[in-house]
Amino acid sequence: MTKVKVGKDELEVDLTEDEIKYINANLEHQPSITELGMFDVMWSEHCSYKSSRPKLKLFEDAEKKYDYVLAGPGQDAGVIDIGDGYCLAFRIESHNHPSAIEPYHGAATGIGGIIRDILCMGVRPIALLDPLRFGPLKDDPHSQWLFKYVVKGIADYGNCTGIPTIGGEVEFDKSFRNNCLVNVACIGLGTIEDFEHAPSRAYNPGDYIVLMGGSTGRDGIHGVTFASRTLTEQSEEDRPAVQIGDPFTKKLIIEATLEAIDTGYVRGLKDLGGGGLSCALSELTGDGGTGAKVDMKKIFTREPGMNSFEIMLSESQERMAFIVKPDGLDEILRIFRKYEMAHAVIGRTDDSKVLKVYDDENLVVSLPATALSESPMKEREEKRPEYLDGLITQQTPQTNLSHKEILYKLIASENICNKEWIYRQYDHEVGIRSVVKCGRGDSGVLRIMDEDKFIATSVGSNSKHCYLDPYNGAKGNLVEVCGNIISNGAKPMAMVNCCNFGNPEKPESYWYFSKSVEGMADFCKALRIPVVGGNVSFYNEDEVTKTAIKPTPQIMIVGLIEGEENIITMPFKEPGNAIVLIGETKAELGGSEYHSVIHNIEGGNPPKVDEERVKSTWELLETLYKKKMVKANHDINKGGFIITIAEMCFETQYGAALDLDILTKENLNEFELLYSESVGRFIIEVDPKNLEEIQSLANKLEVPIYRLGHITSEPKIKIAGFSSGEIILNIKEIKEKYDSTIPNLMEI
Amino acid sequence: MSIKVAVIQFPGSNCDLDTLHVLNEVMNIEAELIWHNEFVGSKFDAAILPGGFSFGDYLRSGIIAAHSPAIEEAKKMLKDDKPILGICNGFQILTEAQLLPGALLKNDSLKFICKWVHIRVENTHTAFTNQMKEGQVLDIPVAHGEGRYFTDKLTELKENKQIIFRYSDPQGSVGDASNPNGSLDNIAGVCDLERKCLGLMPHPERASEMILSPNKTTHGIKFFQSMIHFITSGEI
Repeated sequence: MTKVKVGKDELEVDLTEDEIKYINANLEHQPSITELGMFDVMWSEHCSYKSSRPKLKLFEDAEKKYDYVLAGPGQDAGVIDIGDGYCLAFRIESHNHPSAIEPYHGAATGIGGIIRDILCMGVRPIALLDPLRFGPLKDDPHSQWLFKYVVKGIADYGNCTGIPTIGGEVEFDKSFRNNCLVNVACIGLGTIEDFEHAPSRAYNPGDYIVLMGGSTGRDGIHGVTFASRTLTEQSEEDRPAVQIGDPFTKKLIIEATLEAIDTGYVRGLKDLGGGGLSCALSELTGDGGTGAKVDMKKIFTREPGMNSFEIMLSESQERMAFIVKPDGLDEILRIFRKYEMAHAVIGRTDDSKVLKVYDDENLVVSLPATALSESPMKEREEKRPEYLDGLITQQTPQTNLSHKEILYKLIASENICNKEWIYRQYDHEVGIRSVVKCGRGDSGVLRIMDEDKFIATSVGSNSKHCYLDPYNGAKGNLVEVCGNIISNGAKPMAMVNCCNFGNPEKPESYWYFSKSVEGMADFCKALRIPVVGGNVSFYNEDEVTKTAIKPTPQIMIVGLIEGEENIITMPFKEPGNAIVLIGETKAELGGSEYHSVIHNIEGGNPPKVDEERVKSTWELLETLYKKKMVKANHDINKGGFIITIAEMCFETQYGAALDLDILTKENLNEFELLYSESVGRFIIEVDPKNLEEIQSLANKLEVPIYRLGHITSEPKIKIAGFSSGEIILNIKEIKEKYDSTIPNLMEI
Repeated sequence: MSIKVAVIQFPGSNCDLDTLHVLNEVMNIEAELIWHNEFVGSKFDAAILPGGFSFGDYLRSGIIAAHSPAIEEAKKMLKDDKPILGICNGFQILTEAQLLPGALLKNDSLKFICKWVHIRVENTHTAFTNQMKEGQVLDIPVAHGEGRYFTDKLTELKENKQIIFRYSDPQGSVGDASNPNGSLDNIAGVCDLERKCLGLMPHPERASEMILSPNKTTHGIKFFQSMIHFITSGEI
């Protein structure tokens, strides 16, 4: 924190001495308190990406390299052309710090913000997804409190707005105990025409600036700078920096905004999120090459006596700024009145390229419109942590537990068990698009009305793998999340990410960020997946324990399925059908659930990614799909492939007879074979009569596949082939363990 | 005869478009979205109050919408023997407006619940169930935080055969295990004394297309078929 004196006032800012010098050198006047506050917010890490921008360049140019990308990084959301005149907009971002302090409103307003981003692209938000991270729930009331109220915040807000929450994922790890992660993702669907007519920036002088929605209050002031700082004990005092959400108003904003855009009179549109009016006005005018004159007294406030500093920096929720053509003002205001939304014409754009805010006659802000969005970049140092060598070479300890005991423990562990407790609280059906619903597939599948075409989407990250090897870990995340939608029959089309890391001023934290970005960029280039947007959340550290969170580059993938008959789901369909493992299992127990749940260690050799192999595996599946040979598919994730097979048995209460003899020849010990989390593997169900053809297709593509056994009507998984004897798992018993973990921890 | 159905939009309704889609695209009947204070009942043959969070469900679910001018119009329609269906939040509004008996309280789990359930048809003599069979079990989803039905006039409701749906298991057996929210007597839906106004917590519009149903059923369309039958024949 730096203290700055302006006249007799003193202001504490997060700007560095250098940045203040830079501001003073580039402005023609001594900045006022309000102006300094605006710089402070806009040049915060959260708004300016000053530490991450140098690295994020690796993701640039998606629009140039892929013809179906309509909007890429730097926009409010990524937009892709999905054919037949439709487009999809999607984005993911973080709301970590507010949620760690006030989980209910922190999570709720995270949803609110991401919805507005999608709305700005001119399309209707149709689905939400929420990847979350908490400390382990067992014996920890603090983590339980955060978990309970984050989920409730998402549910109450999302449900009320009528946007289904169709997916998400969660991990519990002690590094998130005091700094939970709440990432929120939203998808919007519209016609290409909607997107092309979508308002963007204030390109025309003389247009009206209309503020619509909630009133401006003292809540959320400096929310952004608070997100760009490490959480401390004193952070509790920052609770006023957490905004309060109002989903009912948001629902009306969605409808009023879409109706307003439809008129064609809205030329620019920006939601008021982090940085409030300062951010919205400077982006609208700065990017549009115009300036503006704003009358502060016109801004409707929640309480009297708010000064310009508070008004310009307030992050009160549910507000939108519209740039309206002069001849359309009446029509736009009529729409706002219909929805009984508060609104005010607060100013007009001009050609001055200067943002001027007047408090009556007094000019309180006068800044070049682009100044706020042009923060100096920060080159950060990076250094590989020394402790990693020790961790990676960690050996798997011996255990006296039988495989059956291990599998029963794994299936009931917090990171593997059933997450129904969460998604039952989310309305995942509203909108009547949800075709593959929560729990029935690896991804959420949505229909596009009037078309025989489906959107599949999924989110995810494996923090334990990324902790040991951020480069391969981030690639592995992509393999896993793409695998999720592929297992439902989709083809990945585009990616957005949300990078959650520690303090970038610390070289070791920055190294994790840097390597993760390189991993994602390299993988996306090799597999031809455009990166169409991203968000970076740094400073996820906790001063109490002096530790950073495990690195969490969250991935969101969207893809398409053409034709209802090509949608594939997870549950086993028919006893007698063959169970086939696709992909190679390697000695990669590093960062596995087996290591953490059974041995309480975090190290070992983590999974590596071979892009060529991934590519040929996807190609094989695509070929099998075309030949309609896959009856069920589930990609292999935490806990290894037996867990995957068990999950495929649950819904239909079938079992599996497996002989792993074929795999034991692979030079792996039983533990590596069963519990490694090697990425890029799938379990598929196929008709045994097709096995020969499948094998020859796989041989041609050099993809290892193994026939493990077949589906049985008896609800038991029987695993033969080990010298230690047959393993028998009772489906009813393991399902009960799988189901009861979270309810037992969360229900009194 | 052509039929025209109103789907009434309150601020915060969010199943309005879904209901309209099913009426237009699945049932192929004329239906229109009408903003609540512009609704005129005499222009329509039936009205549906869709699900959602009218007025944010602030104060209490449905209570503010129950004072909308649309409710006066709905009352006039009922007097003219025109049917009214309340789905989820629409049901909550109709009980708050006292067009239907009872009240919807917070779920006993204190949590929102979104889930496919089964309901048993208790009575087919209404404007929205006449094409169903008594004892028939329907697949249908619920999605609500305040769906626990309560009344202090249970005996009266039973005598008047106003209990139309009860939560059950797939075989039609009614018990605590199949009660998703703690509703009194597993009640999922009730009708008025004239049997032309019906409210239920589950969502027929989400159960009207095979592609959306985990069991590949389309039981939701029976509500709308019944409505059409009543409008065209006057038979309950």
